[in-house]
Amino acid sequence: MTARTQAVPAREAVAARLRRGAGDPRGTVLQALLLASLLIALGVLVVLLADVVTRAAPTFVERGADVITAPLSARPARAGMLQGIIGSLLLMVFVIAIAFPLGIGAAVYLEEYARDRGSTRFIRTNVRNLAGVPSIVYGLLGLAVFVTLLGMGRSAIAGGLTLAVLVLPIAVITTSEALRAVPASIREAAFGVGATRWETIRSHVLPYATPGILTGTILSLGRAFGETAPLIMVGAVVGTFNGVDPVAMLTGSYTSLPTLVYNWSREPQEDFRALTAAAIVVLLVVIGLVNATAIYLRNRYDRRW
Amino acid sequence: MLRCMKPIDAPEEPFVTHPARISKRTLLSAALSGVLTLAACTSGNGGTSTPAGSDGGLNGEIIVSGSSTVEPITSIVLEDFAAANPDVTYEVDGPGTGDGFALFCDGLTDVSDASRAITDEEVATCETNGVDFVQLKVGIDGLSVITAVDNTDVTCLSFGDLYALIGPESQGFDTWDAANDLASELGSDFGETHAPYPAAPLEITGPGEESGTFDSFVELVMADPAEARGAHETTRPDYQASADDNVIIENVSGSDSSLGWVGFAFADENAERVKLLAVDGGDGCVAPTPETIASNEYPISRDLYIYVNVDNAAANPALAAFVDYYLSDAGIAAVTEADYVALDAAALEETRAAWEGR
Repeated sequence: MTARTQAVPAREAVAARLRRGAGDPRGTVLQALLLASLLIALGVLVVLLADVVTRAAPTFVERGADVITAPLSARPARAGMLQGIIGSLLLMVFVIAIAFPLGIGAAVYLEEYARDRGSTRFIRTNVRNLAGVPSIVYGLLGLAVFVTLLGMGRSAIAGGLTLAVLVLPIAVITTSEALRAVPASIREAAFGVGATRWETIRSHVLPYATPGILTGTILSLGRAFGETAPLIMVGAVVGTFNGVDPVAMLTGSYTSLPTLVYNWSREPQEDFRALTAAAIVVLLVVIGLVNATAIYLRNRYDRRW
Repeated sequence: MLRCMKPIDAPEEPFVTHPARISKRTLLSAALSGVLTLAACTSGNGGTSTPAGSDGGLNGEIIVSGSSTVEPITSIVLEDFAAANPDVTYEVDGPGTGDGFALFCDGLTDVSDASRAITDEEVATCETNGVDFVQLKVGIDGLSVITAVDNTDVTCLSFGDLYALIGPESQGFDTWDAANDLASELGSDFGETHAPYPAAPLEITGPGEESGTFDSFVELVMADPAEARGAHETTRPDYQASADDNVIIENVSGSDSSLGWVGFAFADENAERVKLLAVDGGDGCVAPTPETIASNEYPISRDLYIYVNVDNAAANPALAAFVDYYLSDAGIAAVTEADYVALDAAALEETRAAWEGR
């Protein structure tokens, strides 16, 4: 009986809380503040996007796809972003081919094989630190190691390797997190039926970690796509050149979309400012697509247990 | 040249588990390499043909660096030249005259754009490295002293005024009227002073020390007053320096009592956002216009050059043909297209003779 008589006021109190009754002024203030921070964050974003899109719109209307398919030019009326797009895609191939396998491999070793010793923790901490190092520092590293020491010169190979190294720690961290989110019971079940460590990883841990790994690595790809400073450091052309052959870019002149945005924003002619906005829009669309792919893949492979 | 049939393969994911998944991943990498190939294939329609000097059949690589002021001219010339000679590849950028000479004298570039003449020190570096070059004057640029459009207090400044406002002794002057006394002292020696100035904040934006525009401003405007007063030939250190000319325009147009200087092309392009001040170099106020700059009436103008590596030009017919085209009537028209001031006939002949006599 006592239990029931106490339960009634408790239930009412819960109901009142859920109705968000007037009895909680501090809660209301907090809620307003939180909403304000959301609106400010969104507002800034909307203003930025609207500004760029309105500046870019006339260019797209006037020239259509030509802005994207035309090569670089000193004349704003003819200039396009072809080399920038090819260059950026080329650099992404390096990131996918080098940073992803290495990053995933390193994370699997750290999480599944390495014993939890001081040295492992030391490595783990430092991988995290590396992920926070400013990108320009990776540019300096790329300049010293790839461009000069290994003699690759100012080529897309050097640029691609620099970006791959830049993204590597992020790939390791996100993969580690995804692996850690796999419940221990899954591994124990596999070991319990006599699976070896590799069999456990291959057929149990990795399939369950796939959505997390894909999301993390693809988002890091988006980060690499938007990088400018390290590329300028390792010699992406901040100017014009006429080669459009991706194979020639591997060892010769190349540029990327963000570098192009930087270069065009420095030009004197008013028309280049519209082109700058157009290039920013293309850059945002590509990064948006990359992120959408990440979300799609996560949902596609997401499984519950 | 283009390999449309052979995409660069995207890597396969290392951990493949379920058959259903394989196809998805293969799809993903196929899509990536597909996009790349597509991008490569669309490049076929690249060369918009503009008739340019020499006939086709040339091939080779032309690498240009140097002044960001001259870069637009050289870019236009190279673009037209490469359109007529599709097998010629080129690269041109504009990190600044000084950086350009550093690369040039290391033998890393074929042509160096310059908004000032090469210094003795740079010549020595070139000599040490065995880089033999020829200097070719291609155009003229006026330096424009600018302020906000709404600034009605100032229309003309003399060299003395500029020294009082921007020179080394003006450090700490954060309002225009703080420079009144100094300007009066310099008075008639360096052009009639336009002090007293308004009691408004003095907000200066100009190019940084790495820029040829900075060097030229110091050399043309600051040198004489500084020498007369025993001061260092430089500007005040406490101004907003930017390597980006658009930032300078932005800052100057953003405040009613601003002051700054940039190349004439940038100022003229943005004439509705900034006011181009007339300058008195001792012979009265002259406003910067293409005519006054070409005739040397406007006191702060500078010559624009290209420096060509002579040995590379001998070894690379494409480079020689490019410079030939640069100095032809069709090529040199790029100077006016890029908004600079063309050389007069005599000066152009002199440049052509220098190139022939290399």
